[in-house]
Amino acid sequence: MQIKLSDLPFGATAIVREIRTSAHNLNCMGLRIGKELKMVTKQPIKGPVVVLIGELEIAMGLETAEQIVVETTGTGA
Amino acid sequence: MTEGKAEKNIDLPEGGTIVLMLGNPNVGKSALFNRMTGANAVVSNYPGTTVDFMSGTFIESGHIYTIIDVPGTYSLEPRDAAEEVAVRMLRDHPDATVMVVLDATKTDRGLYVALEVMERGMPCIVAVNMMDAAHEKKITVDIAALQRLLGVPVVSTTATSGEGVRNLAEMLRKAQVADIGAIAERLHGEGQARESVRGCDGCGGC
Repeated sequence: MQIKLSDLPFGATAIVREIRTSAHNLNCMGLRIGKELKMVTKQPIKGPVVVLIGELEIAMGLETAEQIVVETTGTGA
Repeated sequence: MTEGKAEKNIDLPEGGTIVLMLGNPNVGKSALFNRMTGANAVVSNYPGTTVDFMSGTFIESGHIYTIIDVPGTYSLEPRDAAEEVAVRMLRDHPDATVMVVLDATKTDRGLYVALEVMERGMPCIVAVNMMDAAHEKKITVDIAALQRLLGVPVVSTTATSGEGVRNLAEMLRKAQVADIGAIAERLHGEGQARESVRGCDGCGGC
């Protein structure tokens, strides 16, 4: 199921499928299409949204997270 | 590595080589810098410690190297002031050798900026630092394969203990310009380019 990263629940894992914002900014931080990530923190209003990719923790604003499409792979429950 | 001094202003010794130390924030560039020059740059365990830069010199096999400790950057398209400093330093020293420092536990992120440097056609050497942390996390980095793929010297180091730093200093003179096209070819398994890196010091992987 493809959803916005901002809609991914806590602890759930997903694979990045599409980046609709500046891909460069996210790519250089290690967030690329095809990478599996896990939702760590998601604060309301403006963020931050923190995801874990392997050993990397990446924080971004909520607007950025809304521009990333992911495919869910697990609920982490 | 026998003599070292550090200073804020860069005055270049005659005939020396400038080495720009570049990499993501918090990969241990300053720790490596201190190891190589005997300097005392501030090292702390959080990113963004180096927002200014320092330079230092050391002599290896009779050759003078001036090392510049560049602030950490994720890319060469600057997104903040510290990154701008990093990019400007690359531009100001077009003849310099670039030492790209990677965190062994996060190599893929570091390789992004490493490839950006290689695209600029500057001679490079890669230091895979924090090998002790990687070891603790049971992460292994195939240094030989990385060297074969990139076509530039790759050296594993642990700046905090000094492991591999000597080797890194010796390998500096073997830094070379990477061929981005050849890297892409090797990645896609084309053109079985298995020729060993010129001047490889016998890592056993070639």
